[in-house]
Amino acid sequence: MSELQENVVVPDEGGVARSVLTGGASPRRLPRLRLGVWLPPLVAFAALAAAWELYARSHPFVIPTIEDIWTTLSQNPHLYWVNFQTTLREVAVGGGAGIAAAFLLAVLMVELPIFESALMPLMIVLMVTPIVAIAPALVIAFGFGNTPKYMVTALIVFYPMLVNSLAGLRDVDPPALDVFATLHANRWEVFRRLRVPSSMPFVFAGLRIALPLAIVGATVAEFAAAGQQAGLGALISVAASQANLAVIWASILLLCLLGLALVMALALIRKRVLFWDNATQRRT
Amino acid sequence: MPRPRHLTAKPDTPASKTAHSGVVVDGVTKSFGSGEDRTLVLDRMSLTIARGEFVSLIGPSGCGKSTLLKIVAGLLRADEGRVSIDGESVAAATRDKLIGLVPQSPALLPWRTVLGNVRLPVQLNRKANKDRALRDPEEVLRSFGLGKALKRYPSQLSGGMQQRVAIARAFVFDPGVLLMDEPFSALDELNRDQQRFGLLTFWQSNRKAVLFVTHSVPEAVMLSDRIVVMTTHPGGIHRIIENNLPRPRDAGVYEHPDFHRIESEVRSSLREVMEQSHV
Repeated sequence: MSELQENVVVPDEGGVARSVLTGGASPRRLPRLRLGVWLPPLVAFAALAAAWELYARSHPFVIPTIEDIWTTLSQNPHLYWVNFQTTLREVAVGGGAGIAAAFLLAVLMVELPIFESALMPLMIVLMVTPIVAIAPALVIAFGFGNTPKYMVTALIVFYPMLVNSLAGLRDVDPPALDVFATLHANRWEVFRRLRVPSSMPFVFAGLRIALPLAIVGATVAEFAAAGQQAGLGALISVAASQANLAVIWASILLLCLLGLALVMALALIRKRVLFWDNATQRRT
Repeated sequence: MPRPRHLTAKPDTPASKTAHSGVVVDGVTKSFGSGEDRTLVLDRMSLTIARGEFVSLIGPSGCGKSTLLKIVAGLLRADEGRVSIDGESVAAATRDKLIGLVPQSPALLPWRTVLGNVRLPVQLNRKANKDRALRDPEEVLRSFGLGKALKRYPSQLSGGMQQRVAIARAFVFDPGVLLMDEPFSALDELNRDQQRFGLLTFWQSNRKAVLFVTHSVPEAVMLSDRIVVMTTHPGGIHRIIENNLPRPRDAGVYEHPDFHRIESEVRSSLREVMEQSHV
């Protein structure tokens, strides 16, 4: 059990802030441009870019200049776009499947404890296995197509999603459960009206870990199946064999942007779904 | 089957006459743990709450008053003895939604509005909604002074208001029996007094059998028809104090000459219990 708990992430404070509840009285306003919020990180990014550029000019074989990265991006937009889409698809399909499967298994484990005692040791094995190491084996078994990439991506998100979903589905206010019990609510009613909504803060905390991991999974699976121009990971792998730093870093940049986009989208959805959660409200 | 609604206080009915309505607790024994660690929490406890009667359980902590409430609510099983509610077993009574529970914490669903929370009991176990006088949730909330908070979320309410929503939730499906486990204990004194009167007013026009667990003597006196002082280790009945303060009661009840007499009677019974438990 203790291994379990170590992996549980307390529902995060990551929502982007203001609760919709405060909007109750006043009409929704456009967010103000708060310089105090935007300026410091902007300065930090600018400083980093300047340092990068300075270093890149004197050490062209360590990192490419920003200009080089921009050049390769602007000269081959189609190449990057196609590969970006491939990676995105792997993240969406593989990651989505892994997340859904993990949540369903968590439901099964909560409702029928025999599944937990039977499968949890297996899940611990899954947790300690470096999933990325399985990638080459899966590529040999399933070929250079999408299947092994979906599988690695699904596997890598599975455990964190499972553990957080389990914790969430169990995190039900006991007196609320008592109220449901005295009303003779059936299992389905307890599940739908109490367990699932109660689990959402944990589920979102799990997603915040799972989505960036899905990108890791997809990229590494693509490394293992390089040789095909499929996905940003494959692009990096090929460019590495040609020592083409600009292409590598352009791909990394795109992976970064993909991760940011996913995490930001998640934060927006979280704000909508979890408007009632204390962690969200504390930030108002 | 229509349930009579008592608008005024009725004189105490002898237990024998009401054996089939209200709550009958008969020889309930409960212990926790096993082997050497086994502790007897309730020892052959018997108690009757007539329809429309307000009974408070008071006693030192560990006297098993919450345990008794949980057994009546069907949340715990008695080792021995039985409980019946309107002549049915507890299991049958929960199936028919005859029990309204107000736990110590309001236990509202934070993702539902006030109105949504009060609608919940109507939405669950719909089979039991047949042939019963469901109340309009909005109307119940208005009579609890929450008419302006219908669309708010629990986190936007004060603790006292949250507890009032929890009480409204217990009344809305018109159960015959209300079980309340120290519902006001988390509130500050001023707020608590206000909530007590809110409950008193509403209950006096919607009489249900109430089992009310408390550790506040004035609270027990102002609300109840009878006050059950419990012994401790194991829990049982030390004494039942009849409280014939006239109804309907309002804030003036504190000034009633009998109020302090009954209050000190309860206090001295509680002292006896404490002394016995220290012997």
